[in-house]
Amino acid sequence: MAPETGAANRAGETPATSGPEAVEDEATITEEGTELERSIGLVGGVAIGVGTMIGAGIFVFPGLAAGRAGPAAAGSFAIGAVVALLVALPASELATAMPKSGGGYYFISRALGTLPGAVVGISIWLGLVFATAFYLVGFGNYAAELLAQLGLPAAGVVTPLALVFGVLLTALNLVGTENAARLQNYVVGLLLTILVFFLGYGGLDAVGVFGRASTPEAFLPFGLAPVFTTAALVFTSYLGFAQVATVAGDIKRPGRNLPLAMVGSVLLVGVLYVGTIFVATSAMGSLALGRAGETAIVDVADAFLGTAGVFAILLAGLLATVSSANASILSTSRAVFAVSKDALVPRYASRVNLAYGTPHVALAMAGGPILVLVALGETEVLAEVASFLHLVMYGLMCVALVAMRRNEPEWYDPDFRVPAYPVVAGLGALASFGLLAFMQPTSQLIGVAVMLAAAGWYAYYARDVELKGVL
Amino acid sequence: MADAARDTPRVLVPVAVLEGESVSESLADFLAAADVVVLGYHVIPEQTPAEQASLQFEERAQTAVEDLAALFREAGGDVETRVAFTHDRDQTVARVADEVDATATLLPNPVGDVEDVLVPLRGAIDTDRLAALVATLLAADPGTVTLWGIAAEVGEAEAAAAVERASATLRERGLDPARVATETSVADAPIRAIVERSADFDVIVMGEGEESLWSLLLGEDAERVAEAAVAPVLVVRDAPAGE
Repeated sequence: MAPETGAANRAGETPATSGPEAVEDEATITEEGTELERSIGLVGGVAIGVGTMIGAGIFVFPGLAAGRAGPAAAGSFAIGAVVALLVALPASELATAMPKSGGGYYFISRALGTLPGAVVGISIWLGLVFATAFYLVGFGNYAAELLAQLGLPAAGVVTPLALVFGVLLTALNLVGTENAARLQNYVVGLLLTILVFFLGYGGLDAVGVFGRASTPEAFLPFGLAPVFTTAALVFTSYLGFAQVATVAGDIKRPGRNLPLAMVGSVLLVGVLYVGTIFVATSAMGSLALGRAGETAIVDVADAFLGTAGVFAILLAGLLATVSSANASILSTSRAVFAVSKDALVPRYASRVNLAYGTPHVALAMAGGPILVLVALGETEVLAEVASFLHLVMYGLMCVALVAMRRNEPEWYDPDFRVPAYPVVAGLGALASFGLLAFMQPTSQLIGVAVMLAAAGWYAYYARDVELKGVL
Repeated sequence: MADAARDTPRVLVPVAVLEGESVSESLADFLAAADVVVLGYHVIPEQTPAEQASLQFEERAQTAVEDLAALFREAGGDVETRVAFTHDRDQTVARVADEVDATATLLPNPVGDVEDVLVPLRGAIDTDRLAALVATLLAADPGTVTLWGIAAEVGEAEAAAAVERASATLRERGLDPARVATETSVADAPIRAIVERSADFDVIVMGEGEESLWSLLLGEDAERVAEAAVAPVLVVRDAPAGE
């Protein structure tokens, strides 16, 4: 597509649109006739979604949530799943209409224009960096706990371990080990196996199969209101299903697999979360859970299976945080590529390394800041900022769907259409933006500052770039 | 068979163009008797979006494939080109082979002048496509073909029957019987036996082989031969189901 005059950024680059292209089930064919093979199947897509999400919901929140809402915290997670679905459905439709790498950023820039696109694209890059740093520190915590259980000295090792693993993951992706992505599938598979076994055993135990009656407890000890505020807190554990859309360009049969992977991964982790809360509250009672806080799940494992259970759950925690961190590093690199391809940041950022075939600049733009943040600490605040930025993107995706549907361009032909779209997208946007109000003022402030900085960069660097409706 | 209606067999030539892989002039001459589809592919790691790699390398890949296609055109062949960026070479080759309905896929190996063709035949395989391809390739060349039936055990009749059928098809297609040698032998380890004889021939033409536990573990038969042998291998694809 010939660029219009004045469409260039400050460096004179224009968006690298690949022109009219044919999207087929197994490959995308560019204007020049080059075929781009689609090689990620449904399982790979679900692994990306689940792998990104599963860390927080099971290994951080059960204690916090049960302390606030009692056994009804299971309901909070269920509400979170419903809200996530309200966003996943519009995201699915947009992704099948535009099955290209870039995900939420791509839909928003095409449907709403360059400024919202640039704000989302750049702030999601930073948001993913924040989230990855958070996962790595989580990994360090679980690794330190494991060392302590083994009787090894574990004081002060959290940050060094997180840094070492951050370097390792970045290096692994840089050097382009052939099976980096397949490894992700195995990690997620092993993790799910441990969790299902744990929940199965705990669930049977909770209903009294093993002869030990569980403590009967009021389901709603604090009333109904905390169920909703807790839902806002734990929604963080559903951030990540939209990462599936960032690899949309590489997914086989996108019309079928993208919606299935996004909706499926939300349902899968939703069931696991609700199950975990049910089992955890049955095992220990919500008061004890609340006191145990962020490592409550380890205590639950101890109550069920003793030391073996503790080791299994610590191993699962390591796997979950590694898979979340790895998936997020890859998403970060793809986020950088998406904005760089569209000339919102210098084209240099999307260079591919000749020797390894990997996007080394984009990976460095992920790994570098991540390591700095891990070293500096303060990752928990940043994790909430990451949620803030994701929620802005989710809300805007819903708005983008409405914009597309109200004035459908000729090329807009999604394989999957959201039923009753104004209701679904309206509720999705309302819920996403509404959750922003429940966040800590610090996070809100930093989040807004990041978005303003992104807008400032746009005004300075890419004011003339035109992306709306450009395929 | 529907294939017989389309007289000229089609050979898919996958080449890792950006890795400096190529096809020698003599092999191009030999293959040009068939219709040729040159597939220039570039394998990228899974963490690199195919789109990102193509953005940077597309032109270079297109140019390299055009150069290769020119080689076949000079040899008088009918050439089609494809360029693909992929995370999985086998998936891409299989997809393109299906799409162009290729008779055979080339597994390249270095080769000098192409004259003598070895055709190992095992079990009850469909020899029609295979023999049609060999007949076409040898029609314009002076080379010879050796049909070699490999039986798994003494007394197995299938290998000899396959040699007989292939030999008859070659005759029907007008290949001088003096250029066709036939033989049958028994081998416990057919792959190794084929590899050992490969040094005496310039090209191996063989079937895909049946899927087995071994092929899952070690790779397909033809791939194992191509890895160990000195000669390029043309893998004749099984006829699509329903034909």
